[in-house]
Amino acid sequence: MTPTVPAVAEELYLQCIRCGKCLSVCPIYRETRIESLSPRGRVALYRAVGEEGLTTDEIYANRFYNCLMCEACREICPSGVQLDVILTHVRVDLAHSGLLPEPLHRLDDVIATAGNISNEPNEQRLGWTANLETPPTGLDHEGPAEVAYFVGCVSSLFPASYSIPQSLVQIMERAGVDYALLGDEERCCGYPMYLNGEADRAADLARHNIAAARATGARRVVMSCPSCYHMWKHTYPELLGEDALDGLEVIHETELLSELTQDGRLHLKPWDATVTYHDSCDLGRKSGIFEPPRDVLRAIPEVELVEMADHHAKSLCCGGGGNLETFNRDLARSLPRRRLEQAQDAGAKYIVVSCQQCKRTLAGAARREKIRVRVMDLAEVVLRQMEEE
Amino acid sequence: MMSVIDELKSIVGEDYVLTSEVDLVAYSYDATFTSARPTLVVLPGSTEEVAEVLKVANRERIPVVPRGMGTGLAAGSIPFGGGIAMPLTRMTELLEIDRENMMATAQAGIITSDLARTLAREGYFYPPDPSSAEYSTLGGNVACNAGGAHCLKYGITGHYVAALEVVLADGRVMRLGGKATKNVTGYDLLHLMIGSEGTLGVITEVTVRFIRQPEAERTAEAVFPKLADAGRAINAVLASGANPAMLEIMDETAIKSVEDYLHLGLPLDAEAILIIQTDGSVEEAERGIEIVAEVCRQNGAREVRVAATPEESAEMWHARHSISGSLGRIRPNKLGEDVTVPHNAIPAMIARIKEISARYGLPIVIFGHAGDGNLHPNILFDKRDPEEFERVEQAVGDLFRAAVELGGSLSGEHGVGVLKRPYLEMALGSVAVEVQKSIKQALDPHGILNPGKIFV
Ligand SMILES: Cc1cc2nc3c(=O)[nH]c(=O)nc-3n(C[C@H](O)[C@H](O)[C@H](O)COP(=O)(O)OP(=O)(O)OC[C@H]3O[C@@H](n4cnc5c(N)ncnc54)[C@H](O)[C@@H]3O)c2cc1C
Repeated sequence: MTPTVPAVAEELYLQCIRCGKCLSVCPIYRETRIESLSPRGRVALYRAVGEEGLTTDEIYANRFYNCLMCEACREICPSGVQLDVILTHVRVDLAHSGLLPEPLHRLDDVIATAGNISNEPNEQRLGWTANLETPPTGLDHEGPAEVAYFVGCVSSLFPASYSIPQSLVQIMERAGVDYALLGDEERCCGYPMYLNGEADRAADLARHNIAAARATGARRVVMSCPSCYHMWKHTYPELLGEDALDGLEVIHETELLSELTQDGRLHLKPWDATVTYHDSCDLGRKSGIFEPPRDVLRAIPEVELVEMADHHAKSLCCGGGGNLETFNRDLARSLPRRRLEQAQDAGAKYIVVSCQQCKRTLAGAARREKIRVRVMDLAEVVLRQMEEE
Repeated sequence: MMSVIDELKSIVGEDYVLTSEVDLVAYSYDATFTSARPTLVVLPGSTEEVAEVLKVANRERIPVVPRGMGTGLAAGSIPFGGGIAMPLTRMTELLEIDRENMMATAQAGIITSDLARTLAREGYFYPPDPSSAEYSTLGGNVACNAGGAHCLKYGITGHYVAALEVVLADGRVMRLGGKATKNVTGYDLLHLMIGSEGTLGVITEVTVRFIRQPEAERTAEAVFPKLADAGRAINAVLASGANPAMLEIMDETAIKSVEDYLHLGLPLDAEAILIIQTDGSVEEAERGIEIVAEVCRQNGAREVRVAATPEESAEMWHARHSISGSLGRIRPNKLGEDVTVPHNAIPAMIARIKEISARYGLPIVIFGHAGDGNLHPNILFDKRDPEEFERVEQAVGDLFRAAVELGGSLSGEHGVGVLKRPYLEMALGSVAVEVQKSIKQALDPHGILNPGKIFV
């Protein structure tokens, strides 16, 4: 691949007056306390490429891929620096000049060939349906369905996450939602490629997934995974054109559950517990969906919903974002502790999430660090509260 | 140099000596508009490591620039002559909370708000609160003797420092102060180190006093159609007996800039807003804020809003704390000064700033800790325009002259660094400057600690 001269846009960095406020919210900086691993540092590096001819080498790439892409920095920047744009642009440049780090490169290759993130035969995607008492009705749906359920790679292929789709299909069945599964016609949404700076490689996946959803006849596609949701909603139209999703409404699990609650289609029994809700970066800060999951929790009698120190748009990333886990596992593993402590400080016994990645990351850390909080996906909570009716 | 790098690596560990271009760029700046790359970055993890690094540097005559989080506003942590940038950011341990003596001890690299938050969980209060408390270090606060909004009533960082551990230029470790409340045994070296901007020693450990949180606080926001009226109101409030804990000002440019960031619905047609907090017992806080509101109205406030909830109060302060950072929305560069004048000269200083702004055709924003006379005139400009930058430099000179003429100081809290060096003698007189230089000479004979700072 021929290296391209990285394009540095002055108008993107000039607004940074280096006040340092982003240092207070960047999970990577807070953990490492190294300036080149901070948002302000990354802007300075980007600027130095343009103004001082700084070479973009592996070390430069390292500083940009050691990032969760959580956008807490963009959210807090008083000067309005578009850090999301800078961080994304730089990754695109790096990936297209042969500087995508090896493990991430491999991840994208796997996705391109296997159609999923874990290099398994795509038929394995239905593994989660195996131990349900009755097979999901959406499996061999006949005729047009009301909604198509796009499960996502992690929930489909990682046994620890099976209970999320298992819960959601049971909820839909009890609430009388007519849904169809895509089965092995579902492919990775392409989000990891987008994060790595190779969104262009995701166009075929996007085309395939949209066609598969359309084939169910549904007018709505629901996803449990905020990253799939973000990819579909924001990146597919960029890749395939504004009209790519015409006639298809993309919604997140939390929106569906909130709708069902409001329509009185879910009967939830009391739950005497102090609960906090963790906003994932892709659903909350990046997509603006904050209230639907909270509305569902508020609809459960006796739940006391408390907020952590950082919540809504200022939520703290669990540490599972940005493909960091693939690039730098040790660093990624050191991050969730702070979030768990925030939950404890808020007095919560349960952290409710609406993202399988946040669940894996937070629950794994709670186990490792012996922190007594339970982590549950909203669908798991809802199903449990629907039982014994 | 190669063998020195190996020696340094053997002291702090391979991972904590950074030499890549990428890392040198990242340690080339602070929160000012200037920059210069260090030769290498060394991140020590303990006092012993700091001492060993300094021994090597002193032997080899390599400059060492101590650094916290690089949020200084005087270019104090920028390594203009190269050498070792030495951030203390790995040293973040909170070592002790001594509840009996009401003192806490921490390593210098702890983030100030981390310390304050831990204390607040137990109902304690560490008052020094620079607007950058969430992103600056305790060591940096001590090295600059940082102030903040609460300093009006409660005093600045230096008033809370009870003891320090400092490593001298030659690597000797010195402990200063202690937990006894009074101490006149020998010279007051503790307060010599406070505000020494990394030129006399590296602060590695800090013991601070803390107090009990006040029972209640009330915040008011007073909107002034005329800036001059706000200036007079500041004095009137201070003389009123309301005893405010914080009294801060934002002028119309500051209001616009913050509004653009936070969308709070601030009045864009006002020339100034004062944000004022009273505290104490419930009655004191309540009575105080009533007096404040009354005095502001008498002095030309169009509207005074008292926060009904803690959230509303937090929002008012959030606006104030966001001004500095939001100024990048207006021009790409800013020169933030922090001249401080006696109370009675506040209205006159505000008028002089406006004159200077008009004379040089430069936007100068006024905001800051108005209650203690510490105004933050921030000149907004574009460094890429050399002609404009020349005007900036002239305007700065005029600002300093105005402050000194009105009986004030060049810097209330940011320090001299490099940016105020040319004006030092004007402010202090030649004798005081000579004495300071001989102190520097005595403590750092080879001039390795943060060379080129404070003195020309
Ligand atoms: C948005 C914004 C708001 C601010 N608000 C305020 C405010 O309200 N009040 C205020 O006073 N300041 C304020 N500042 C300025 C700055 O945050 C303070 O000066 C702060 O104390 C600097 O701490 P730091 O850790 O970032 O130190 P740095 O900027 O890294 O260093 C500052 C100076 O201290 C020296 N130094 C740092 N650590 C040590 C150490 N351990 N031992 C010896 N020397 C050391 C350095 O050599 C340098 O000279 C603000 C800055 C910004 C950007």
